[in-house]
Amino acid sequence: MVTVNLKINGKQYSEETEPRMLLVHFIRDVLKLKGTHIGCDTGHCGACTILWDGKPVKSCQILAVQAEGANIMTVEGLEPEEGKLSIEQESFRENFAQQCGYCTPGFLMMTRYLIRNNEEMTREEIREKLHGNYCMCTGYQQIVDAVQDAQRKYFATKK
Amino acid sequence: MTSQKSSTESLVLQSEKGTKQNVGKRVPRIEDLRIVKGKAGYTDDLEMADQQYAAFLFSPYAHARIISIDVSKALELPGVSLVITGKEIKELTKPMSSRAATKSPTSHYILAVDKVRYMGEPVAAVVARNKYVAADAAELIEVEYEPLKVVASIEDALKKDAELIYPELGTNEMITDHFEFGDVKKAFSEADKIVKERIRIQRYASTPLETYVVNAYYDPTREELTVYASDQQPGRTVQSVERTIGIPSSRIHLIVPPVGGGFGYKLAIWQYVALVSLMSKLVGKPVKWVQTRTESLYAFHRPRGFMDAEFALRKDGKVLGMKLVDWQADANWPYVAALYSLIKFANMSGTYEIRNYSFEYHCIATNDPPIVQDRGVGKPFMAFALERMMDFSAQALGIDRVKIRQINSVPADKMPYTAGSGEVYESGNYPEAIRRALEHSQFKKKLEEQAKLRKEGRYVGIGIATAIEPGTSNLGYYFLSKAGDPDYNGAGQMATVEVAADGIVKVNMNGPEIGTGHVTTIAQVVADVFGISTEEVNVDAWYDSVHGHLTYAGTYSNAFNDVYLGAVMTAANQLKDKILNIASSLLRENKEDLYLSNNYICKLDDDQEKRLVGLKELAKISYGRLLSFPKGEEPGLKVTAGYINRTAKPFVRSDFNVQLTHSNSVHVCFVEVFPENWNIKILDYAIVHDAGNVINPGIVEGLAIGSTVSGIGGALYEEFVFDEQGTNLSLNFGEYLKPTAMEAPEIRVDQMESPAPNTVLGTKAVGEGGAITSLAAVAGAVEDALKPFNVKITGLPITPEKIWNMVKDTPEYKRIKKEGQ
Repeated sequence: MVTVNLKINGKQYSEETEPRMLLVHFIRDVLKLKGTHIGCDTGHCGACTILWDGKPVKSCQILAVQAEGANIMTVEGLEPEEGKLSIEQESFRENFAQQCGYCTPGFLMMTRYLIRNNEEMTREEIREKLHGNYCMCTGYQQIVDAVQDAQRKYFATKK
Repeated sequence: MTSQKSSTESLVLQSEKGTKQNVGKRVPRIEDLRIVKGKAGYTDDLEMADQQYAAFLFSPYAHARIISIDVSKALELPGVSLVITGKEIKELTKPMSSRAATKSPTSHYILAVDKVRYMGEPVAAVVARNKYVAADAAELIEVEYEPLKVVASIEDALKKDAELIYPELGTNEMITDHFEFGDVKKAFSEADKIVKERIRIQRYASTPLETYVVNAYYDPTREELTVYASDQQPGRTVQSVERTIGIPSSRIHLIVPPVGGGFGYKLAIWQYVALVSLMSKLVGKPVKWVQTRTESLYAFHRPRGFMDAEFALRKDGKVLGMKLVDWQADANWPYVAALYSLIKFANMSGTYEIRNYSFEYHCIATNDPPIVQDRGVGKPFMAFALERMMDFSAQALGIDRVKIRQINSVPADKMPYTAGSGEVYESGNYPEAIRRALEHSQFKKKLEEQAKLRKEGRYVGIGIATAIEPGTSNLGYYFLSKAGDPDYNGAGQMATVEVAADGIVKVNMNGPEIGTGHVTTIAQVVADVFGISTEEVNVDAWYDSVHGHLTYAGTYSNAFNDVYLGAVMTAANQLKDKILNIASSLLRENKEDLYLSNNYICKLDDDQEKRLVGLKELAKISYGRLLSFPKGEEPGLKVTAGYINRTAKPFVRSDFNVQLTHSNSVHVCFVEVFPENWNIKILDYAIVHDAGNVINPGIVEGLAIGSTVSGIGGALYEEFVFDEQGTNLSLNFGEYLKPTAMEAPEIRVDQMESPAPNTVLGTKAVGEGGAITSLAAVAGAVEDALKPFNVKITGLPITPEKIWNMVKDTPEYKRIKKEGQ
């Protein structure tokens, strides 16, 4: 067993794990943060996307021990304060961007990253940048609406 | 029909007494408040005390005898508490039986016994203290197989010396039947032209992002099984678990948390609910199993097959008759064999007035993996075959493909229309839908654009398809070819509505929530009955078998908008009636003067709303202060009510209806094919969708778009590929290709509303239309784009490789190649 120390959503964790445990299992099964999901096991679907030092990472493709000292954000860390949705969460809800919702946390983390690290994106660009996140329900259109909307809202806060 | 109408009318009238403030509005989804926080609570998010984990060992062979299984190494691994194989299963469980097929094997168990029939069939299972140890243990099980000759296709299965999948049946043809409506012989003798084609469908599947998850605990002190599962049809699962592992259904408590996508795929989870429950009983601890993606791609799929279609045509384009012979490789899994064929042919004439047709079907056992009633079941192939034949007929007659569809459409003044089979199309306006689609898609402009681009050497094409979207299965149709009575028939559901002791309005639809917006839709409907806002309606997204439910409770067959909403409305109106009765008695007011508004029982006093008593106060009285409680009323404010769509007919072979509501769509697809690599890009996609009255346009539009993209996946990308040994070569998302945001087009939806007269709110099927209609629209567009190459598209998916093989020897290809040099 190995001890892993990392920070998730601003909180410091120190837990024992087998060296072979995947980061996504560590987050879900050890730390009990159930918002990060598993959809494919092979890095295609993006349901397990988290932000690591602000950058999107598929947490099923990495071992928990590799995350020693990491600063991670999961969907549970999006809400700016209790009872208030982040602009990504708000935009996804307003645009009907989820149906079953299983892929949503991954898309939200990706959106968080994209809208802050790109100039205003066209729909085509958004679609290209989202190709590593699968949604089996929506056909993506309302997700693209939501990302566009979230970026507009984000830029408005910067003005 | 008449009696049904009157009961429907009375329900609607009652609902209209409330203020209609929410129905029809784009209300943001209530369930999203939890989803966007990562707090939806799917089955895998829940754990029980002393949780153990299961893993399965799956067969690497498509067809083999199991000679021996050695579990000793697995059992020696620390943390392993149980290993079971076919030996125990044969002792402890009963085999499955066929639902529709006239022949039922006796050797088909929930875990392989003595033989495997497809790659990925479970052959052994383990229970261990965590999922990693469980996976290790499964790998330590040693199985000796003797490979058998693989039956890799329908043609293989029908050979005289073919290896039999179920030797006890003496044949690989599990079921076959022939139906005929009208005068087919006459139609063909009078035809000016006969068009004949073999249309194929591949193996593909909806792949919900959440896989199968089961968490079971058999409590020996209460002798009761509590099981959580990502299950779409829990009512039936309980029955199947009872039949296979012998726990009485009254002792099975099945709970379905929100499901991460259903699409029919999760109708087949019951096999694993039975297995995991049995393992829990054997180890005396809660056992959880989470299917991996690869395991979910082994099975369950749509079957591959083909249809030999023959159309008798009059020279003006009128289809006089059809002969259809359907072949499906769906009988490896006898439990649902024939469902794909049977569900399609009652509706086979689609939106057209075709009176004379015959339908013959053959369900064949091969070593293809099991099938499940995936999104639309046989209907996507039904529409694909019919619409392709419409295009081929137009080409053969030299008439316009839009015109042939207009000529044959059921005229608006003939609605409700009874098809040759007896299927009743209760509502719709098909000619108008085509007209609106031409306008909405700017069809004329597209033709001009196409002509212009073709001159520039670009291969662009337009496809059009029109199809019905039948919903609400009249269950039992699968007994059309079989003697006796089915376990289930008709169409209904149950729901529970209550005002809880704290005065909050609560609803449970007593069916699983699979992502299709039921929580919000129900909140909108119930809010209007009680005169409150949607936020004030507490809709439970969990199915829990302790609530009243039918034995076929579940979210499938596009039936929510019919029978579940019917049940919710029935329960809500009964409860409202009860509340007004109690209030009238307590307040000594005329019941007719009272109404519900903003959580108060009110009456009008000089046109001013006067609040007489709050729901909260009335709840206190109804649940606990009974001395003055009105006579003739029972305490409590909870109603579980059932609803039946009475338009379901009994099954007589000459006159039956398989489904009870019929939405319809017209899709117009505009594509470009790039000769550099034969990739296809959808440039524009326009839909006219008629699903009757719409309760929430945001939800309905999302379902129309989402189901269309799932169909586009089937049309262009998705196929389970097998080698000649029956090895599944598509076991991850790198090999089984789904459309991503990059491939999905921008889709424009124009919603038409022809209310269904036989549902409580005039609503009808919503979730399958895109999956049904899109295949033919996309295929038609690609074929049109490749017109200079003169290709014919009769199968899917249309991959660059297939296009290359179609075009490489054509004069057009030689021409552009020469020009390019």
